[in-house]
Amino acid sequence: MEAAAVIKATGLVKKYGELEAVKGIDFAVPPGQCFGLLGPNGAGKSTTMRMIMGLSDVTAGTLEVFGKPAKNMPRNIKAKIGLVPQETNLDPDISVLENLAAFGRYFALSKTVIAERVPKLLEFMQLADKKYAPVNALSGGMKRRLIVARALIGDPEMVILDEPTTGLDPQARVLIWKQLLALKKQGRTLLLTTHYMDEAQRLCDQIVIIDDGRILDQGTPQELIDRHVKGYVFEVQKPCLAKSPAERWDQEDIGDSILYFVHQTADFISDLPEDAVYLHRPANLEDVFLRLTGRKLREN
Amino acid sequence: MQMPEPVYILAVYDRQYRVFRKLIGSALVSNVANPILFLFAFGFGMGAFIDTMGGVSYLTFVVAGMVGYSAAFAASFETSIGAFTRYFLQKNWDAILSTPVTLAELLLGEVLWAAVKALFSAVCVLIVGWLWGGIPDIFGPLIALPIVFLGSICFACAGLAATSYAKGYEFFAYFFTFWVTPMFVFCGVFFEISRFPDAVQYMTWVFPMTHLVAAIRPLIAGTELDPIAILLHTGYIILFGVAAFAVAHRKLRQRLYD
Repeated sequence: MEAAAVIKATGLVKKYGELEAVKGIDFAVPPGQCFGLLGPNGAGKSTTMRMIMGLSDVTAGTLEVFGKPAKNMPRNIKAKIGLVPQETNLDPDISVLENLAAFGRYFALSKTVIAERVPKLLEFMQLADKKYAPVNALSGGMKRRLIVARALIGDPEMVILDEPTTGLDPQARVLIWKQLLALKKQGRTLLLTTHYMDEAQRLCDQIVIIDDGRILDQGTPQELIDRHVKGYVFEVQKPCLAKSPAERWDQEDIGDSILYFVHQTADFISDLPEDAVYLHRPANLEDVFLRLTGRKLREN
Repeated sequence: MQMPEPVYILAVYDRQYRVFRKLIGSALVSNVANPILFLFAFGFGMGAFIDTMGGVSYLTFVVAGMVGYSAAFAASFETSIGAFTRYFLQKNWDAILSTPVTLAELLLGEVLWAAVKALFSAVCVLIVGWLWGGIPDIFGPLIALPIVFLGSICFACAGLAATSYAKGYEFFAYFFTFWVTPMFVFCGVFFEISRFPDAVQYMTWVFPMTHLVAAIRPLIAGTELDPIAILLHTGYIILFGVAAFAVAHRKLRQRLYD
């Protein structure tokens, strides 16, 4: 039997007046997994996360967090969740160390527990030599690391991460990935949103792709890749395209070239003309994401 | 709705206190220097023309008013511009609301700290006024301090109510012009409100500041006490504070949650 889901959404709807931001979604986050919520800007990810945190009322459907409705979340449930918000909202008036200690007090931890956890967390996110620094003196990467450390002060069973590595250099991203995997190993549930598909592919056990308030598909990264973009991608420049009729290959016109999604590379290469110019690579989650959500810009 | 618990209220209070402690130097200077400037200007400047007011020396009269005003200003500033900065600019409130702390506890923590800071201000004025010779007897003022603290809670709640409606810093121009400044000039800090036309006098009783000054002045200046009147003034201050807190909580619930 499967263990009870940490988060369970059934027909979840959120309306802001006339605008329907989340249009009836169903998903369940199993304990101890990293669950990815992916989607373009405005897809409804942040709204869903706010509902999970109890900061936004559910319009219709049900949303349960640790088996209790998210609305009027009891304090003991809230204490099991650590949030890494998208926006850097560290306390700029106090030091790195004090930020963690203050958060410990918001979780009603005793002085001894705070004194014991803070150095460990600083070590975990490699901030120990910055502990007396004012927050404003930290680089962007250090600030994000501190926010992750801060989310862990309450020893949460679930950590919610809203774009944890946006704007970070590769070194900082790698460190955060490594530590997130360590958190998963400790048995914590992770709920992650990100715009970096490599990040989702690397970290997530399960992924839900949402757009325009609806779930487009869900599964493991590999399932999604198999289902939507097969195993390999060939980007073939026009006009020297595959010789077989269009029905033979799963393809997508992206302007100057055509993308072919294929299971076997040898068959396809033999179908290309001698002078074809192409790039060839294994299909990844980014291909899935773009296929499902389209290539149009979302900011307009 | 979960019942507010002291441990969470104090966690919010504690953060404020720690920030304040870092700036203790400037806080002390402004809290001590400010009343000295006022007492100097009014005590010497106006005192030269006015022998007595309300049956006491003008200095004694002004010290009592200044105790109330310094508390009112400190509390109002802390929960208006101060709290708005934490809420709107620094997003501290967003961070706190992602923890087990509830909105009511967050706001109570803000109010409690603002009131303690205001009381600190008032005590500084009392000490300066006492050294200056403006306090005839030291026991009355000690009884006045709890009332000053209740007044500070009330002003803190009123400031929070303003913050709950503020969309930007410009909004506080209204708050200071139509709320804080009238407390300074119309509520009996520097002269008795009986000098105003009746209509204005009625208006001034709307302000909790008038009640605070009326309640603490007899205690600080050592004039005749009317315990019933003091109780009624204190009652009004408490009711006003509770109402302002309810307004602030309701409005901020709408703004911070959706």
